[in-house]
Amino acid sequence: MLIRCVQAEFIKLRHTRIWLLLFILPLVSVIIGCFNFYMNQGVLKKEWYSLWSQVSLFYGEFFFPIFIAILCAFLWRLEHFNKNWNMIMTAPISANSIFFSKLIVVGSMLTFSQGFFGLLYFFGGKLLGLTSALPVELFGWLLRGWIAALTISTLQLALSMRIKSFAVPIGIGFCAAILGLGMYVINLGLLFPHSLLTIGMGILNQSSISSLWNNLLYYIMNGVYIFVFSLVAIYRMKKSDVVA
Amino acid sequence: MNQVVSTHNLSKQYNGKYCVRDLNLSVAKGEIFGFLGPNGAGKSTTLKMILGLTRPTKGFVTVFEKGFEENRGFILSQTGSLIESPSYYGHLTGLENMRVVQKLREVPDKNVMQALRIVRLEKQKDKKVSQYSLGMKQRLGIAMALMSFPKVLILDEPTNGLDPAGIGEIRELIKSLPQLHGMTVLLSSHLLSEIEQIATSVGIINEGEMLFQGSMSELKSKSQPTIKIKTRNNKLAQELLRINGFSSIQSGESLVFEDLLDDEVIKVNQSLVTSNIDVLRIEEHKKSLENIFLDLTGKEQSL
Repeated sequence: MLIRCVQAEFIKLRHTRIWLLLFILPLVSVIIGCFNFYMNQGVLKKEWYSLWSQVSLFYGEFFFPIFIAILCAFLWRLEHFNKNWNMIMTAPISANSIFFSKLIVVGSMLTFSQGFFGLLYFFGGKLLGLTSALPVELFGWLLRGWIAALTISTLQLALSMRIKSFAVPIGIGFCAAILGLGMYVINLGLLFPHSLLTIGMGILNQSSISSLWNNLLYYIMNGVYIFVFSLVAIYRMKKSDVVA
Repeated sequence: MNQVVSTHNLSKQYNGKYCVRDLNLSVAKGEIFGFLGPNGAGKSTTLKMILGLTRPTKGFVTVFEKGFEENRGFILSQTGSLIESPSYYGHLTGLENMRVVQKLREVPDKNVMQALRIVRLEKQKDKKVSQYSLGMKQRLGIAMALMSFPKVLILDEPTNGLDPAGIGEIRELIKSLPQLHGMTVLLSSHLLSEIEQIATSVGIINEGEMLFQGSMSELKSKSQPTIKIKTRNNKLAQELLRINGFSSIQSGESLVFEDLLDDEVIKVNQSLVTSNIDVLRIEEHKKSLENIFLDLTGKEQSL
């Protein structure tokens, strides 16, 4: 049932230009980051690590959370229009499948976005003439970033499902990204979804997660958030009247 | 009787006001049940509760004599529906919209084309639905509802937005479904003439309450003729006839009698003539279904 729902979701995305964002946002982030790195080579002396601190700052702190919010709002907007809620809620599929199919679609797009970002980072570095080896942490940053992105996606999907407006959940997402930065600074990062992205991607501190325990805690926190947000969203979907 | 859809004291309250109240509706297998009522009577709300889109404040729904809550998946897999106005993804073509439903309902490919053929959209299937006319969207909605050839078909105002030729076509289509595909159809309308031409059973709802439920012939039998008599002195005539055992009501310039047999008409006339009350007219009036409907819903005042 879930697979069929995911296939249906992909059919719904035909003829849309949402795919463009997948290319544009990582590209813009890397370009800005590389430019910053190039202009400030006097202070940024740690080669790949310094470059990462620049590109991931724009990507992870600003573009990525907003991109996730737009993606989630877009997926639900398809249902908010033209009475489509009536159709999906009278199809013989469970609320679980409806919600998780959207999460899977978002997740797969995020995979692409992360991979593309990693690739651009590599080419950007080469172009800037970095000669040392790539950081060993790179894969970990991308993976943990992806997991934190899933957590944020679950939150944004839950918001956009309930809020019919396209812009409001994106605005909330933007505020949360800024709040997340604050939470990270006061060392409460593990308690806030958007700070998890900052931690996981090693944006402000490239050596970040060191101990096994911290690593584990990071995954547990993400897991808890994903579980709670989906639970609330699915419960609301099951219990409230459909207003199409 | 084999009940396909029944509601049991189904009620829905919005802000303390009943939109549907203690509704006991029952649709038997193979019927085309016409759910009739003026705008805002609670038809859509009832249909939405039957499909689980809206949760009843009180009461419950059974489909195939199974409770909806516990058997949601099974019931929905056997049900096709078109509620309020058609659902569609405007940026997709007609065919792609059908494919979405096909995925959600696990329907073989041939059904998709067959459903499109039935509603005669196969030529426009590659056009974006946002460019469809209202009538074409309505046809697409019906095709989506039909696609899985469900045992129960629930259609809310199915001929909305269609031109007269389209209305006739869809009407014939709906009429053929019980025999051709063994479907049971539950459809709503605010147009009596439409229900009269399609339905085998009728439910009339007004202000959330069921006023009449039965077969079409039962409803028609309510249209018994009345006799109108006009005399030079209606007041005296009414008094005289009341003493003789014929009660009447004054309506305009005539007295109206219900359920008068031919012999009784003769008697009434004789007694008027012998009492020297001049009889001007004796007319028979057949109540049209329209009048029955208006009587039941009490809507004639508001018009």
